[in-house]
Amino acid sequence: MGRLSTLVLTLALLVVAAAPLRAQQPATNPHGAAPHGLLTPAPEFLPAPWSDAATDGLGALPIQEGGRVKPLSTFAGFTLLRLTGRRSVVLDDGTKLGPDAFMMEALVRPEVAASMPLFLVAEGAAIDAIGLDSTIKKRRARWSFSELQPAVPKLFELAHEWSRIEPAERTAVQQQTVRLAEAVHQFLDIGGFLDFGRVDLPVARTGRLAELLGTDTGRVRYSQLAAAGTRIGELYRELAADQDPLAREELRAIDGLLRLAAELGRAANGLALIPPAGTADDAPTWRNPGEVLSAALDGEPVAPYEIEALRGFEALARAMDDGAAIAAVATLDASTRAAARARGEGLKNDLERSYYAAKPLTWSVMAFVLAFVFAAITWLRPRAKLPYRICSVLSWTGLAFLIGAIVVRCIIRGRPPVSTLYETVLFVTATGVLLGLVTELIDRRRIAVSASAALGFVGLFLAGGYEKLDAKDTMPELVAVLDTNFWLATHVTTITIGYAAGMLAALLGSIYVVLRLFRQRSSSPETFKSLTRMVYGTICFGVICSLVGTILGGLWANDSWGRFWGWDPKENGALLICLAMTAILHGRMSGHLKELGICVAAAFGGTVVAFSWWGVNLLGVGLHSYGFTSGVSKALWIYYGLQWTVCALGGVVWLRAKMQARVRREVAAQVAAAKDSPAAA
Amino acid sequence: MKAVRSIGTRLVAFFSSLSLAGVLLCLLALLTFLGTLEQAEFGLYEVQRKYFESLFLLHDAGPVTIPLPGGALVMGLLFVNLLVGGVARLRRGLGTAGVLTAHLGMLIMLVAGFVKYATGVEGHVTLYEGDERNWFQSYTETELAIVELRPNGAPTQEWTVADDELRGAGPGAEVALSGLPFGLEVTHWFENANALPKGPMFDVDVPVVAGLFLQGRPKAAQAERNAAGGYVVVTGPDGIRRTGMLWAFDSAPWTVQVGERTFALDVRRERYPMPFDVRLDDFKKEDHPGTSMPAWFSSDVTVTDRMSGDDVSRPVLISMNEPLREEGLVLYQASWGPSNARPGDPLFSTLAVVRNPADQWPFYSCVVIAAGLLFHFGRKLKLHVRRELAK
Repeated sequence: MGRLSTLVLTLALLVVAAAPLRAQQPATNPHGAAPHGLLTPAPEFLPAPWSDAATDGLGALPIQEGGRVKPLSTFAGFTLLRLTGRRSVVLDDGTKLGPDAFMMEALVRPEVAASMPLFLVAEGAAIDAIGLDSTIKKRRARWSFSELQPAVPKLFELAHEWSRIEPAERTAVQQQTVRLAEAVHQFLDIGGFLDFGRVDLPVARTGRLAELLGTDTGRVRYSQLAAAGTRIGELYRELAADQDPLAREELRAIDGLLRLAAELGRAANGLALIPPAGTADDAPTWRNPGEVLSAALDGEPVAPYEIEALRGFEALARAMDDGAAIAAVATLDASTRAAARARGEGLKNDLERSYYAAKPLTWSVMAFVLAFVFAAITWLRPRAKLPYRICSVLSWTGLAFLIGAIVVRCIIRGRPPVSTLYETVLFVTATGVLLGLVTELIDRRRIAVSASAALGFVGLFLAGGYEKLDAKDTMPELVAVLDTNFWLATHVTTITIGYAAGMLAALLGSIYVVLRLFRQRSSSPETFKSLTRMVYGTICFGVICSLVGTILGGLWANDSWGRFWGWDPKENGALLICLAMTAILHGRMSGHLKELGICVAAAFGGTVVAFSWWGVNLLGVGLHSYGFTSGVSKALWIYYGLQWTVCALGGVVWLRAKMQARVRREVAAQVAAAKDSPAAA
Repeated sequence: MKAVRSIGTRLVAFFSSLSLAGVLLCLLALLTFLGTLEQAEFGLYEVQRKYFESLFLLHDAGPVTIPLPGGALVMGLLFVNLLVGGVARLRRGLGTAGVLTAHLGMLIMLVAGFVKYATGVEGHVTLYEGDERNWFQSYTETELAIVELRPNGAPTQEWTVADDELRGAGPGAEVALSGLPFGLEVTHWFENANALPKGPMFDVDVPVVAGLFLQGRPKAAQAERNAAGGYVVVTGPDGIRRTGMLWAFDSAPWTVQVGERTFALDVRRERYPMPFDVRLDDFKKEDHPGTSMPAWFSSDVTVTDRMSGDDVSRPVLISMNEPLREEGLVLYQASWGPSNARPGDPLFSTLAVVRNPADQWPFYSCVVIAAGLLFHFGRKLKLHVRRELAK
């Protein structure tokens, strides 16, 4: 939120930058400058949408963000998630724009994007707080920039004030206001990005600068300035050393021009879309248009394709129709994308675009939901084979999509399957489902396959929820200590498999308890016995992975922090899982835990896994606090509540069984007594 | 004799029982859980001492205080239980071979933990490029050091007193150090203190030195942030008493002239010698492009062996996850700073230094446990699958 302090300046800059635009309407636009901009009045009728060729081309452009080169469409997708809470914008007429189309509008026709319902406001009171009337929409609604615009100064003022409060101590309204301000700020950043290409900069018609630029029109484009940047820099330094009054006058004019250009360049500092001259090792940090001009003026190397890219952006900013946009995107593609490839960067961008376009996780969750529906049918019609087969096929299909998604992510990043909290959810879900389906293959009682389907859709539903909540790239660069494929592949993978086993065991244990609540054990003892065996087998598998994974984590810590064990919360969480699972196994061995006991303990073990997996991160202490987890606590407490309820129900089942056994004993005793009595004789 | 045998048998039965194992595992889980939650409020250092290194403890659960066995006691009993019940008395056979192996692995792990706890030393050495050290210092422990300053780089003599011995010191607390040519009295000692200017509007019950006084503070949740301090009185052969204020965060020690000799008195983190010198030649840090997220940092150091007498030097690269193991010490690339350094500012590198004789034992234990469990559960799975398929 430190950026908020510059927002007023940004707004002022937008006003300055956009001022010429109002005067540059098409009819009175002799210089061909763009009629677009954030402060341009929105058209009365929505212009024709951009073609797929234009938006796809734009989405395929590479961008460096968060330390890695990715497709612009990935950046657009997560921007949309942050703004609207989903990966698309649905217009009032029902038209749905994907990330590429949204980015095209926001960059090229921000005045059109300004009227889109972009900003998700979950707390209507935040709208009231900034002086607008929230009652014109639902409590949880999406607002457009045009609707918010009158209240933007108030929004930034309040957000600036409330951002000083610790996030944990903010009220819901304060938190929503701060988030809304961040979202609006980001929209302004994107909408103002191409301003440098929309404006022709004023330059003297005569003089050494005009001579150098080879123009006498009194106007110069940003790209022309950058192309001549090195010589302009030299001229500037030469004039600065000259005491001649005419030279001073010329220097002042150049200074004014460069200041204006720098302001426009600064407005474009949000997106690093231009690979710099040199190799990826020598010059790893990509440039935005402002930095290209600065580098040229400072005499640093600027490659011809960088200037070409600026021309491409200018052409895009001024694109009036689809053909012009396609041509501009082609120019950008030939400059930035080709340069990135030559530097060996963004080589997996096409695969990444295909991954997001194919939506394998959506297909996977659909398969799991359908599988669960058929699982429910198998419960109602236990003898029907078809629903069971369909359920199995759909579960395996969902798993195939999920595993495919994980594999593609591994290829894109060149890393093992788990390196972020989000990826732990995918991996735990996949492993849990696989374990369940393998268990079903061994023990075909239709229980494990049902549990797999449930685990599959709940896991992916939670993954989607977390992705929305975090709204950050789920394939980010890692901090130095985590950036080791060896330990990610061994410790993280093993411990995560342990989580999956623990969660599956908890689910199977819970199913046992719930079944026992409605059915007597004597009605189908083999089913209950088999279910307990599944729980036991899953725990055995889990204890190996948890124990080995925990020790491997210790070995990693020993190599990176100098100690094997430090009682860090995350380490303690892993130890808790090991202890809980080991205690269950020992309880079973000693005879203290029988069928019901093992299942109730496994259900409780689920809360131990959840605490270790997510709960300890909420404590906010320790060396493992890598993940963003605010907002997760509600889901976590719901899960704790569910599992504890299952444990309590287990207690009810136990008491009921005790009472029934007592009654049976008493009846048996009475019968025996009656048989022995002389009257009976 | 029978009665003795009976008691002995009962004791062995008790210590080897599965029930005891279950209870101990649950108790350790409870301690781990409570110790994890408490860290948010009391910090790792305090929690570690209270919950994991103690024999008994009192846990405050709101208005109720619950007595609990400490981590050391529980782990000690677990060790005995594992040794007696899990290894010595375990039935021998193919069915228990895996469990036996896993239990042996756990024993190695517990022994490794105990050896590290009993004999290990942890600290760090922080170096700017060009700096050389043959000692490292503790993160948390403090000592009072008296160093005789001699001109022209002549070897100095040093006396140290660990802060354990100074806790609770009051007026008249003489510190006896052989060879010290003056009397040293520690009149006040604070485990955590702040140095504040003495204003005219209030009085303090401690001496005021150069307008400043030490105000005791509660111990910080993070033990690394505790700044110990105290007042010392130096009495020279001439009988003159001079009072000095020492504080861990002070930028310079207190120097005092005793006859012809000069001494510096300082409160500092406890120092431990290294059998070799480490010089930082080059510190490299790379961020992920366009971010301030570190992607990589490493230290090029020169290690000079002073013990062998021939001062052999060799270059070593210490980087993330690639430590240097040398003469019983392990040096890790732990940190760097200052965190607010601007591009071009000199950076320091912090190398964590650990002396741990059981350094690699957990690795052996991991292999043993994994082998044991895989054998045991693999065998059980095989038997189960065979049974199911036979049905």
